[in-house]
This record gives sequence, structure tokens and C-alpha cells, in this order.
Amino acid sequence: MILEIFSDRLHTADSDGTLIAAVWRLPEWIFNRGNVVTGNKRLLTGLVVWYGLLSLWVAYAPADRQFWLLSSILPGLLVVVLIGTHRFLPLSPASYVLITLFLSLHMIGVRYTYAEVPAGAWLEQAVPLGRNQYDRIVHFCFGFLLTYPIEEMFRLTVSLRGWLLYYLPVMTVLGLSGLWEIVESWVARVVHPELGITYLGSQGDVWDAQKDMAAAMYGALLSMAVLLWYRRQRLRISPSVADRSH
Amino acid sequence: MNKRTLLVGLLMGYGLLWTILAIAPNDRQDWLLENLLALSAVAALLATYRRFQFSAASYVLFTAFLSLHAIGAHYTYAEVPFGFWLQEAFGLSRNPFDRLVHFGYGLLLAFPLRELLVRLADVKGWWSYYLPVSGMLAQSGLFEIVEAVVAQIVNPELGAAYLGTQGDQWDAQNDMIAAFSGALVCMTVVLLSAGREWRNRKGRPQ
Repeated sequence: MILEIFSDRLHTADSDGTLIAAVWRLPEWIFNRGNVVTGNKRLLTGLVVWYGLLSLWVAYAPADRQFWLLSSILPGLLVVVLIGTHRFLPLSPASYVLITLFLSLHMIGVRYTYAEVPAGAWLEQAVPLGRNQYDRIVHFCFGFLLTYPIEEMFRLTVSLRGWLLYYLPVMTVLGLSGLWEIVESWVARVVHPELGITYLGSQGDVWDAQKDMAAAMYGALLSMAVLLWYRRQRLRISPSVADRSH
Repeated sequence: MNKRTLLVGLLMGYGLLWTILAIAPNDRQDWLLENLLALSAVAALLATYRRFQFSAASYVLFTAFLSLHAIGAHYTYAEVPFGFWLQEAFGLSRNPFDRLVHFGYGLLLAFPLRELLVRLADVKGWWSYYLPVSGMLAQSGLFEIVEAVVAQIVNPELGAAYLGTQGDQWDAQNDMIAAFSGALVCMTVVLLSAGREWRNRKGRPQ
């Protein structure tokens, strides 16, 4: 499928003349396909199949069945909502890819439980970090990967202009991150009151909640900075395409 | 009352209260730390007044919140007498004044935030109730982050006083819950009054 995208892109680029234009228009093409429902179909099917297979693998033998159940509720709901809304609020393929990427990262965390993900353990050995940082990385990715889909949703449903279009998605991500920490603390207090702060992700760090939120915020800020930079560059190369994304 | 007169009154009232509370705070350094943000907020409101005027209601809410904060800064939050009284009256394990002000933060400032979003970003419908709540929660989270950074940088004893965790391991989460529920209450009130206004306009008085 990716090859198809590339060949399709390069083919049209030939008619435009320059290779640089082709390279620059590749993301533009991915970003702007969102309004074409039919063009999305194969990609969406692929993503759903990938997510389904991954879910099966995780559901087969999670390290902690209870944790698996608890942390699969929200992603499951999100997937259902996304499938339900993809006709009247179609996001761009880029957004769907980013969301799937994030959900996959979360899925891996659930498979092993976050504090014991092999990739995190390996990272801990390679760089002395003091703890398995996988959950912190996923918190960062929450901001970095999901801010663009949120920005797109704002662009499609609310007529935002200027700096608010970049500020509100960051604010929303930070708000959701705060909400997540609240839910996490509730779960910890209800399910394992005797473990207190050592339960769930915090791995004994009193500043864990703040660091998690900060990670999500940095991710969100970085993704918006990248987006802003990309849009400025594209505006410089071909001013005509600029209006299409707004 | 004229809006201008009201604003001058609010500013003078706050100035007077602030000055009285600035004379002999319990802990000068903590007082200074607490007032950095408050004074920046007042300066920002004054500086943007010509370009963006909030409604009179919003300015009243701002003043109410800043006054509460000034009281907390004067006594340091963990030692506000009113909080001790509450603690005894309800048999609580800690002085709840800071939690109360976190709640007030959501309750009092969600309305100005909504006004800002509606007028500046033309936010409509459901979004105009969701976004202020999300925004207050985000700011509350940001505040907890800043608090943590400050506490780790400045000397630990003052950090503890400033932080006001009072030994609660879920302090950050509880503070955010307080702000979140405050914002929820505020938006519910706004939603209810908007619904009533809408019904009245339709010619079906309540």
C-alpha cells in the first residue's frame, strides 16, 4: 500500500516536473486526503486489521489480566467512536495512522504491563535511567502523536484561526493528561488502596503524575512546532496550496 | 452601576486588601513566591484591557479569586485560620483552604475562559462548554507541574510550605479534581442559565 502511495505520488510529480516538489507534496497529499472518504477506505481497513491482530495477540496472554481489562476499555471505546464517525467526520489518513501508532504503543505497554516492557528494560540498561521509562515515553507520544488529530478535529468542526489553532490542541492534550492522572489515582485508590502511590506506573516516584503530564505537554508542543514549521515551509515553496489546509 | 466605576472599585478594593495582607505575611519568601503569578495576572489584565475587555461579571470573578489567593499567600495556605476552623468543624485531617481555592480556581475562572474562547475563537455550542472545563483542567495540571519544578529547585523546606501537600500522596490529583469539579459546576450553571434565556426568548417563560 505504501508503495502504491509513493508510485502514485511520484507519477503525478513527473507531470509537475521537479523531484523536490514531489517530496514536498508527499505529506501534503497524505494530510489533505482526509476529505475524500473513498480514498481512505483501504488504509483504514488496513489499520483496523492491524489493530485487531495486535489486540488478539495481547488478549491471548497479557502479563496481568486485570490490568489488561482495565486499560482496554478506553482504547476500545475510542476505536468504536472513530469507526462510527469516519463517515461524517473523516480525519486525514495521517491522523488515523498517528492514532493507530499511539494505540499500538499503548497495547504493547498493556501486554507486558508498563513497568516491565522489554524495550523499556533494554533502554534502562543501555542508558542508566534508574527506572523503566516506557510509560513516560508513551505519555510523551500521547502528546506528540495525538495533538495533530485533535488539531484537525478543531479545524473541521470549529472555525479556529491563528495562534488558537495551535494553542487549543495543546491545552486539550494537557487537560486530557490531567484527567488521566485523576482517573489513574482513583483506580489506584479503589483497586489497591494498600499499595497507594506505588501502584500503577508511578514506580515509587512522588512526582510521577507531574512528570507524566509534563511529558505529554512537551510532546504536544513539539508536534505543534513541527506542524507550524512545516506549514511555513510549504507556504514558501508553493503559496497556492496553503489555503487548502485551512 | 457604570462598568467603569465598578472596575475602578474592584481594582481599589483588591489593591487595599493586597496592601493590608502584604504588610506582615507569615512567611515573606513564600508570600513573594505566591504573588509572582498573581501580580503577573493583574498586570496582564490591566495591559490587555484596551484590546480585550472582559465582561463586568468576569472581572468580579477575577477579583474574587485573586482575593482568596491573597489571603492564602498572607497566612501561607496550610495555615489559614478559616481553613483550621473548617478542619475542626468537619473533622478533617488537614487544613482544606488550598483545596478550596483550587476548587475556586475552576469555579470562578472557567467563566472568563469561556468568554475568551467564545469571543476570540468564535467557539460555539457544545465546544463552548467542553473547552473551558478542559482548559481549566489543563491549567491546573500545568500549575502542578510548575509547582513540582519550583519545589525541586528552591530549598526543600520552603518547597513543602509552598507546595502545601501536607503529606498527602495524592495531593496533585486531588487539587486537579477540585479545579475540575469547580469548572464543571460553573459550566453547568452557565448552561442552565443559557437554556433558560433561550426558552424565554422563544416566548415560553419558565
